[in-house]
Amino acid sequence: MVADPGSAAGPADGGGTEAEAKRAGVDPAEKVVPPRSSPDDVLRVEHISKRFGPVTALRDVNLHLKKGEVLGLLGDNGAGKSTLIKILSGFQKPDGGQMFLHGKPYAPKSVDDARAQGIETVYQDLALIDELSVYHNLFLRRERLLKPFPLLANRQMKKEARTALDEIGINIPRIDVAVARLSGGQRQAIAVARTVNGDADIILLDEPLAAMGAKEGAQILDLVARLKEEGKVSIIMILHNYVHVLQACDRVSMIQDGAIAYDKPTAETSVEELTDIVVNEYRRAREETHEEAEAAKAQQAG
Amino acid sequence: MASVAGGSTAQTPPVKAGESARARRPSVGRQLLERILSLREGSIIVVTIVTAIYFSANTSSFFTGDNFKTLLPYFAPFAILAAGEVFVMILGEIDLSIGALYLFAPILFYKLDASAGLGLVPSVIVALLVCAAVGAINGFFVAVVEINSFVTTLATLFAFEGLSLIVSHGTPVATPGAAQHTTTVNVTHVVNEHKITLPEQVHHISTFASVFGGGVYSELIWAVVIVIVLQIVLTFTRWGLYTVAIGSNKLGAGEAGVSVKAIMIRNYVLCALTAALVGIFEAVRAATVQPDPAGANEILFLAVAAGVIGGTLLTGGSGTVVGALIGALFLGVLKDGLILQGVNANYLLFYTGLAIIVAMTVNVYVQRRRRGHGG
Repeated sequence: MVADPGSAAGPADGGGTEAEAKRAGVDPAEKVVPPRSSPDDVLRVEHISKRFGPVTALRDVNLHLKKGEVLGLLGDNGAGKSTLIKILSGFQKPDGGQMFLHGKPYAPKSVDDARAQGIETVYQDLALIDELSVYHNLFLRRERLLKPFPLLANRQMKKEARTALDEIGINIPRIDVAVARLSGGQRQAIAVARTVNGDADIILLDEPLAAMGAKEGAQILDLVARLKEEGKVSIIMILHNYVHVLQACDRVSMIQDGAIAYDKPTAETSVEELTDIVVNEYRRAREETHEEAEAAKAQQAG
Repeated sequence: MASVAGGSTAQTPPVKAGESARARRPSVGRQLLERILSLREGSIIVVTIVTAIYFSANTSSFFTGDNFKTLLPYFAPFAILAAGEVFVMILGEIDLSIGALYLFAPILFYKLDASAGLGLVPSVIVALLVCAAVGAINGFFVAVVEINSFVTTLATLFAFEGLSLIVSHGTPVATPGAAQHTTTVNVTHVVNEHKITLPEQVHHISTFASVFGGGVYSELIWAVVIVIVLQIVLTFTRWGLYTVAIGSNKLGAGEAGVSVKAIMIRNYVLCALTAALVGIFEAVRAATVQPDPAGANEILFLAVAAGVIGGTLLTGGSGTVVGALIGALFLGVLKDGLILQGVNANYLLFYTGLAIIVAMTVNVYVQRRRRGHGG
């Protein structure tokens, strides 16, 4: 394992060709983007692996994130995107590998610990508490309290929530209703707003555009663009739509079989190329299944 | 109730232009009714009032000061038990072991005071601490080992009711500090302008007993204070907020950084404490410690019923402590009213069952209407 990645290879540039070369290889074990890093990386992930019993969710993940960068994470269902996000956010612990935050070793003990270190997550569908009001959701685990008795400062939270939502341009008519009564898009917007509202400098978005209409989705992408412009936070977002990736992200990484198999700036790629990779993956998977079936048949016959 | 609200429709005052939105509402009476019904406890408040009016109309002795004192023990202990149970129910869990701790706490209290000579108040405190530890064990198995809460607390219910029988040898004993002293005092009456002095018996109980359940209003005061404090905890503190969050979306609360297990264990400890406290109160009030698991089980189910009738969901995510108090009051009014009406003791439980179903049906109907109004 690389113990001191800070002094390893200089600023990443040849990533594309490397990935291209890997793509040609048939052995999936070789299709791994190696750890690369540069001094301005806020987050580096090296050789992370994670197993759940007999299932290997992550094999060997290497990832880096620059300050102010928006990284799009692509991958098939079950490729390990959500597992990676959960490890980064401290919800699960990796079995192997190392992570570095601002150049220092990063091993969050819990979600709270990760948050204290500046990494915040919006989870797929899980982020909000249906029975709680919009403003209680926005302030969950960051409640404002009265003095001297530590009671909830509801009035202050309502006011701050309204300001925060206005600032990032999310239109919610009433902030004192339970979020169960809001639309899917509004809920997702609030979930994103919650992370932005915190003091995070790295935000992880797990499918922020799921369950969202075009108009609401555009709102979230606008929000990401505004955050990118400000340049204070770095963002990793899991997306499915390649057009969204090219529109919102600076760089795109693709997870296949529990490892990053492709990593390129969005400026150097296209919807066609991304589609190509996935089509090839499906073709290869089909061939493998076919070969296995043939082998099984042969065995039966023999 | 609808006719009461409708009756005042004609009295709607003329409204200013700025209040046009309000003008659409038919009347002040209806507005008030809607305001009450928009509370989570609203429907059971209405049901309880209607029940009380019914008994007042049918039984002359219902609406009297003396009867209020009779009513107290029918509801105050259940209000305290239900207040603790609500904290577990909002989590989407249940605590059946309150029946056992209700039984076990006074027995332990007796043993600590009578056998170990610890003194009254220290014995109460140690008994409460032991029961709190049992609550923590419940919480541990539910939150950490992740055994279904019904199964976990059913096991502790059996275990501690059994332990109560073992420790007490199944024999009732006099509650320490609850003995009643009777003195004879000469009281002078004036009858037909003649002074007559007659000896009368006066009962005294110790300060300890009058504080811990023996005094007429002792349990009522405890119930009101505990309910108010716990309602404030539920509505206005992080603890309450996280309790609702866990009951509504356990995974989401965990991912947001709420320490789910710690909160769950804490709520089980709270629930165990209320059960132990009520157990000691009732033993002091009755002046005997009765090792009676069957009676304890009935009390357990009435406490859960009070919580549910009060508007707390068994599925979690929503609940109210004040509602539990009113649910307990409803059950108390019902039992007291039926007894005053001269209902045969054998029918009492039967009618209670029917009344719970009727009350819950009204409850559900009113709540649906409430949601329909978009309150």
